[in-house]
Amino acid sequence: MREARIPTEELMGSGHLACQGCGATIAMRFALKALGSKTILVIPACCWAVIDGTFPHSAVDVPIFHTAFETAAVTAAGVKAGLEMRGDFETTVVAWAGDGGTFDIGLQALSGTAERNDDIIYVCYDNEAYMNTGIQRSSSTPVGAWTTTTPVTNYKTRPKKNMIDIMAAHAIPYIATASVAYPEDLIRKFKKAKAIKGTKYIQILAPCPTGWKLSPELTIWAGRKAVTSKVYPMLEITENGNKLTVWKDFEATSFKEYIKPQGRFRHLKENEIEKIGKDVESSWQRLLAREKMLASIPGLEA
Amino acid sequence: MSKQIKFDSYREMPIRSMTLDNMLWNKTGSWRNVKPVYDNKVSPCILGCPAGENIQHYIQLVIDKKYKEAWETIIESNPMPAVTGRVCSHPCMGKCTRGDYDEAVNINAIERTLGDMGIDNPGWMRESEKTKKQKVAVIGSGPAGLSAAFYLARAGYSVTLYETEKALGGVLRWGIPEYRLPNCVLDGVIESILNSGPISVKTETVVGKEIKLKELEDNFDAIFIGIGLMESRKLGISNEDCEGVESGLEYLKRVNSGDNLDSSKKTVVIGGGNTAMDVARSALRKGSDVTVVYRRTQAEMPAIASEIEEAEKEGVNFRFLAAPKEIVAEGGKLSKVLFQEMELGEPDESGRRRPVPLEGKTFTMEVGRLFTAIGERADLDGFGPEVDTEWDLIKVNGEFGETNKKNIFAGGDIVTGAASVVEAVAAGRKAAEKIIRVFIGEADPPKQEETEFGIENINVDYFTKSNRTLNPRISVEEAKKGFEEILTGFDEQLLQKEVDRCFSCGVCNYCDNCWVYCPDTAIVRKDDRYEIDYDYCKGCLVCVEECPRSALSIEEEGK
Repeated sequence: MREARIPTEELMGSGHLACQGCGATIAMRFALKALGSKTILVIPACCWAVIDGTFPHSAVDVPIFHTAFETAAVTAAGVKAGLEMRGDFETTVVAWAGDGGTFDIGLQALSGTAERNDDIIYVCYDNEAYMNTGIQRSSSTPVGAWTTTTPVTNYKTRPKKNMIDIMAAHAIPYIATASVAYPEDLIRKFKKAKAIKGTKYIQILAPCPTGWKLSPELTIWAGRKAVTSKVYPMLEITENGNKLTVWKDFEATSFKEYIKPQGRFRHLKENEIEKIGKDVESSWQRLLAREKMLASIPGLEA
Repeated sequence: MSKQIKFDSYREMPIRSMTLDNMLWNKTGSWRNVKPVYDNKVSPCILGCPAGENIQHYIQLVIDKKYKEAWETIIESNPMPAVTGRVCSHPCMGKCTRGDYDEAVNINAIERTLGDMGIDNPGWMRESEKTKKQKVAVIGSGPAGLSAAFYLARAGYSVTLYETEKALGGVLRWGIPEYRLPNCVLDGVIESILNSGPISVKTETVVGKEIKLKELEDNFDAIFIGIGLMESRKLGISNEDCEGVESGLEYLKRVNSGDNLDSSKKTVVIGGGNTAMDVARSALRKGSDVTVVYRRTQAEMPAIASEIEEAEKEGVNFRFLAAPKEIVAEGGKLSKVLFQEMELGEPDESGRRRPVPLEGKTFTMEVGRLFTAIGERADLDGFGPEVDTEWDLIKVNGEFGETNKKNIFAGGDIVTGAASVVEAVAAGRKAAEKIIRVFIGEADPPKQEETEFGIENINVDYFTKSNRTLNPRISVEEAKKGFEEILTGFDEQLLQKEVDRCFSCGVCNYCDNCWVYCPDTAIVRKDDRYEIDYDYCKGCLVCVEECPRSALSIEEEGK
C-alpha cells in the first residue's frame, strides 16, 4: 500500500441517512479529515440535519449543534465566544449550511457575522436547491435548471446568485470555493482556513444525484466537470478581498457535456444550451479579468 | 457495532438533546441493489507479451522504487530482460492502452533498464532450489536453450548445455550486431544464467554428430532441443557459389567475431527481415555503399519498423519490388546481378500481398558483394528420424514443446520457423516448466482467460496527455562510425517519468480513489488492499465510476 493521499482519520462514520452518492456527505468527510476532532459543527435546517442520524445518534464524531434555519453563522459565532470564555481558543467552530440556509434564509446572519469578522469557518455545501424539503429552487439554483417549484415549462431563468462577490464585499480574510471532486484541494483550503483568524467562507459544490436527476455514481464526475467546464470556478480570495486566485490549470471541457447526464437540464433546447454556455464563458472571462485587475493595482494587497 | 437506542418514556431521555451513540446500528447495505467488487483484470500488455511478463506489476514496483522486486518479476518469465529490452519487437507496446490515448508506454526501455540493473547487481539472483536427482540435456544455447536451462537449473535440476560454437548465445551472439546488443551485455546475461543453478556447459560439441541424440536419451531424464535456424536459405539461382556472394548470417557471424573485413565495395543485401537490416547496417559501418533489395514494398517488410527507419537514416538505400534473377560472374567472381522487377498481387497465406514478376521488366546492377538474407533454415542432421519433423522443423504437440518422444522437448525457431527472441524465451520456459511438471507428476495449469480491455475502460480524466519518453541515443553520424551501441537505457529520472505514464490497466495500484470518494465511509483501507464493508455500502457505485482503471466490477444483488 502506498502513502494515503488524504488523512486516514475518519470522523464521519457509516450508517448515516444520506442518499446514494450524496455529495454533501463526501464534503463533510473531507472537511473533518482536514479539521480534525477538535471541531464543533453548527448545522441549521438542511440535508445534513437529517443525514447525521436520528436522536440520540450521530454519524459524526464531533459535537453538532442543531440550530434554526436562519441562524447558522451567529450561532457558530456564539459557540466560539462561549468556548473562548471558558479558555478554549483552540477548537474550530464551523457553521455547516446548505445553499438555502446560506444564499437565502441565513444571509443576514451570515452578513452580520462576516461584518463583525467573528472567528468561524462558514461552510456552504452547495447542492443548488432545497434538496432536503423536496428540491425547491433556491437563489443558488443555476439558470436553466428544473426544480419542483421551477417545472420544465417555467424553468429557472434567473442566474445563480453570486454569493462569492457578496462575501468578498465583506472584506473577510478568506473566501474559497471547492468541489468534492478535488479532495486534496478541498483539504488544503480547510487547513488554510483553520489557521486564519476571522470569518472564513468556503463554498463547496456538492452534487446531489436525487435533486439533479443524476445517476448516483456520477457525483464526482459532475463535481469535476462543473469545474473543468468553468461553471463552478475554483478560486480563493485573500488579503481581505483584495487578492483573487483562480485555478486555471485544467483541460477545459464543454458545458454541454456537463449538463448532459443531469435530468434537471434535460428540457433545454439546443439554442438555450448554447446561450447558457456563452454566459458561462463570459462569467469566466469576467472572473479572470477581475483577477488580473486586482493584481494590477499597486499597494492594494493587505 | 452499536445498537439503536430506544426510549420507552421521556424520563429515560437525557436532560438536553444530545448524542449518545453513533449510527452504526443502521445497516445501510440493505438499500443496495447492485454492489461493487474488487476484480483485477489481466492488463493487455501482459497478454501481448509472448513470454507473458507481468509488465503492469513490475512497472508499479518501479514506481515504488522497488527495483529488485521489479527485476525479479520479469525474471519469473524471462531470464534475459537486458537482451529483450534491446532486441525485442515489443508486441506488448502494440497492446498498450495508452497507445489509444497518446503514445504507448516505452515498456521496452523500462525492461532494458531493469535488465541492466540486474547485471549490475548479481546478488539479486536468488540461489537455486536444492539439487534434485533428475538431469536434463539442453541442446543449443540461443534464447530458447538458455531460457530452458535457466528455469530447470533454478528449480534445482542439473542441466548440461550443449553448444556447437565456442561461445554461448546462439543467434544472440552471432546474428545480432553489437550496436544493437553489445557482447558485454550478452556475456553478463549468460553469466547470470549460468550462476543461477547447476548448469554445466559443453561448447564446440555438435549433438547429432559427435554425440548421438540416442546417447543423450540414455544419459538424461529429459532433453530440450533449441538449436534454432543457423543456415541461410539459398536464392536458388545460377552462380550463387561464386566469390563475392555470401550468406548474410555468415557475414554477421564474422562481423561479430571481430574479423577485419574489407567492405569498400558496392554491396547489395537481398531480403526484408531483421537479418537483412543487420547485414546492411553492419556493411555500412564497414565502409560499404549498401542497397537493400526487397521483392515487396516497405509495408510488407518483416523487420522491426524502427530498424528500417534507422537503416534509412544511416544511409542504406532501398530498392523495392525487385528480386535477383541471375548472378553474372567473371572468372569465378561476382560482377553483376540481373534483377526482375515485381508488382504486388493477391495476398498469400501470410496475409501479405504476393510479389508477381512484371513481364519483360529487368535491370542490371554492378555489384561487388551480394548478401542473402531471405530467411534461415535448420540443420536437422542427427535429429531427423529420432524426432518427428515437418517442413524442416521439429514437430511439437501443444504449447509446451512436447515432441513425439516422451522425454524430448523442443522450442524456439526450430519449432516455429523464424520468429522472435521473446517467443524463443517463452518456448524455453514453457518447455522447462512442463519438464518439471512431468518430473513431479503435476497437471498443467488452466489456460489464462483473456479479457477485453480498451481505452473505454480507462477514466481518462485522471491522466494528462504526455509523450513517450524515448531512449537517449547517440547521433546517426556517430552511430555510423562504428559498432557502438546506439540506444541507452533510462537513468532513474527518465525511468520514473516513463513508469508514471502506465495506466495499470484493470489492476488496482492503490491510487486511493475508491476509498477517498466513498460517501458512506464503507471502504476500508487495509495494509495491502481495500475492503468494502457491505453492511454499509449503499451501492452508489462512485468507486466503480471513479476507479481510473476498471479494477472494480459491478455485481447484481441476489445473483
